[in-house]
Amino acid sequence: MLKHESIETNSGLLIVLTLVAIGIGGLVEIVPLHYIDSTIEDVKDPQTGVEMVRPYSPLELRGRDIYIREGCYTCHSQMIRPFRDEDLRYGHYSLAAESKYDHPFQWGSKRTGPDLARVGGKYSNAWHTQHLIAPRSVVPESIMPNYPWLLETELDYADVGARMIALKKVGVPYTLTKDEYTGWTDDKGQKHPGTVERFGEKVANTLDINRAEDNLLAQAKAGNYDGDPSSISEMDALVAYLQVLGTMVDFSKFDEDHFIQFR
Amino acid sequence: MAHSAVVSSEQYNYEIVKKFAIAAIVWGIAGMTAGVYIASELAWPFLNFDIAQITFGRLRPVHTSGVIFGFGGNALFATSYYIVQRTCQTRLAGGTFWPNFTFWGWNLAIAIAGTGYLFGISQGREYAEPEWYIDLAIAVVWVVYFLIYTVTLVRRNQPHIYVANWFFMSFILATALLHIFNNLAMPVSLLGIKSYSLFSGVQDAMTQWWYGHNAVGFFLTAAFLGMMYYFVPKQAGRPVYSYRLSIVHFWALSFMYMWVGTHHLHWTAIPDWTSSLAAVFSILLLMPSWGGMINGIMTLSGAWDKLRTDPIMMFLITSLSFYGMSTFEGPMMSLKSVNALSHYTDWTVGHVHSGALGWVAMVSIGSFYHMIPRLWNTTIYSTKLIYTHFFLATIGVILYITALWVSGIGQGLMLRAFDEYGNLAYTFVETVVFMHGPLVARAIGGMFFVSGMLVMAYNIYMTIARAKQEEKAPVIAVAQA
Amino acid sequence: MLADLWMWITDLGNSKIVALVIFFTTFVGIVLYVYSNKARSERLESYRYVPFLDDDEHKPQAESPKKQGEK
Repeated sequence: MLKHESIETNSGLLIVLTLVAIGIGGLVEIVPLHYIDSTIEDVKDPQTGVEMVRPYSPLELRGRDIYIREGCYTCHSQMIRPFRDEDLRYGHYSLAAESKYDHPFQWGSKRTGPDLARVGGKYSNAWHTQHLIAPRSVVPESIMPNYPWLLETELDYADVGARMIALKKVGVPYTLTKDEYTGWTDDKGQKHPGTVERFGEKVANTLDINRAEDNLLAQAKAGNYDGDPSSISEMDALVAYLQVLGTMVDFSKFDEDHFIQFR
Repeated sequence: MAHSAVVSSEQYNYEIVKKFAIAAIVWGIAGMTAGVYIASELAWPFLNFDIAQITFGRLRPVHTSGVIFGFGGNALFATSYYIVQRTCQTRLAGGTFWPNFTFWGWNLAIAIAGTGYLFGISQGREYAEPEWYIDLAIAVVWVVYFLIYTVTLVRRNQPHIYVANWFFMSFILATALLHIFNNLAMPVSLLGIKSYSLFSGVQDAMTQWWYGHNAVGFFLTAAFLGMMYYFVPKQAGRPVYSYRLSIVHFWALSFMYMWVGTHHLHWTAIPDWTSSLAAVFSILLLMPSWGGMINGIMTLSGAWDKLRTDPIMMFLITSLSFYGMSTFEGPMMSLKSVNALSHYTDWTVGHVHSGALGWVAMVSIGSFYHMIPRLWNTTIYSTKLIYTHFFLATIGVILYITALWVSGIGQGLMLRAFDEYGNLAYTFVETVVFMHGPLVARAIGGMFFVSGMLVMAYNIYMTIARAKQEEKAPVIAVAQA
Repeated sequence: MLADLWMWITDLGNSKIVALVIFFTTFVGIVLYVYSNKARSERLESYRYVPFLDDDEHKPQAESPKKQGEK
């Protein structure tokens, strides 16, 4: 029989049993999340069947990188909880699907500033730019730092393709080949839908890694996020990211209690 | 007298313990000063000075890494190397090279990571900000640490493995597990600094807070309990209250901590069962936590007068009281109804600091005051300064957590308040205005704590300087002793 | 019958309950083991003195003459 005495006097046994004790909790909590289908909702447009939550465009992705670089998550959450006050203040509670392409997630743990999960579209580009350069010029009581260098620094987008390839490797549906774009049928006859079918042609084009730089330039030019069309600054990228937050799912297309079934 | 002490400093590898101990104090002062600075930035935002490198978002991980891994990590290396040698009555394994490897590896990793944060190099994962290449380096250092520790245990001259070493072992194992799984990432290029995490969204959140809470559970609790199980009995001159209780609460704590991380994600987009399960285990966790606290405090039973006469004992017992308090507050905050109010507010930050300053820092400080004179074979320079440090630290912690209770609970209540028409009673920025006063008080609380650390640094510096003088003039030292 | 039980146990959806049961029985086992037998209790409690077995406790300490009593 195994005696506690032998654990006390045998370091190898102590190590193994401690590993068992600490291993169980993590396994039981985390592993099922990777297999249980209901963990993440399948959010498709009820009319067209197109997936509403899409990977970030190249410009938005670079904006997100800057969001992480500046440590915005230390003061802003991106996770609206299902309470009445949060609904009135920020909007519909966050769905799991809305951060399914977020590597890493940025839900945050502290609201020194307000939640940003649905900040997209709430303010104009000009407001965001002014607010990031000098927050107290638009919100006098704000305690946010000024970020003037975002406007002054040109965006480095040389490696945006490499960044998308890295994300593709961890499961984000950016495309490199024609097949991934249009869909293909494997040897066993199984059909794999391409990005065109999943997200619609317009979005699928922005997910094409081969055209990443062109797409980035085109979006920055068309969006003119920082009000200075002469160059593409980090401000362009960050505002493009902020403006897409929480806007992918169009809740007007669903019944009010449609998403409750997934909780 | 002097003879046996000389033998023990030859028998044991004290040089490595000394290095880690000094590094812990240096990191403690640096990390806590960064903490006071970012706390002040929240109270007075002009302190960001439009300098990218010192904005709150970039400096905050410098503070957290500096105190958790710099101060806490070095303190744990120092005390674990000290305790494992003394309770096994054998010299540390690995000769002089491998322990030194862990020292330089660990400290360089934190220094490079911390400098990186200032330039925006971060994974964007709380308490796991270092990028992939530093994570790899830390993993190597940690494996060496594990091997040194295990081989020392195997070579022990004492048949029984003392309970403090169990706690250190579970801390080493759990930290390895957590570090590796939470930092799985895909580098953009092998020569670049940027990487993207392997998991996304819900799964990533679960992994991160499984890591985040168990960093608290094993790094900041189990390991410091190991410290407690050695230094409280030694300083009290009495054996620990109940050895059987220590066995029971060791296994319960090791098992249960791993379940509770999800209470950081109540009401988010994770499946409901994970968060309910975490809440149940968080409540259960109160029992092993208090088992440890009772065991530590009751060690003093029959010698309570030491609480008046021995400032080191005051540090140790106060730390256990804060441990008891924050392990009661924690389960309470993990109740979903309380969490709805407390989450995202300063209440959480206050709770963390009642554990981090009140428990972790104070138990380390008390242990250092006991250990450092023994390492240098001398006595402490000034007991009076330990008293001074104790009062500065205690006032600092109390001011800090009280201020953040006001700030956190106040903000939580304001955000959920409605007026008579059912509209929101306050805008978000009105809560920011409300928090100004408490945030100022919090920064002052932090300043108290840091000034206590400076007093300690002076006291320790003088102690070591005097020990070195005594070494040069051994005859006089012996005569005085 | 046994196969059903096995299916239930290995179902990931039931993993929390299975783990809870394993944990709880183990915990009760440890408590019984530690507290049930008198001789064993005495042996376990004797380990309380391990930290005092090291050799230089009698070296000069400002606060320490009372340490001898426990040894």
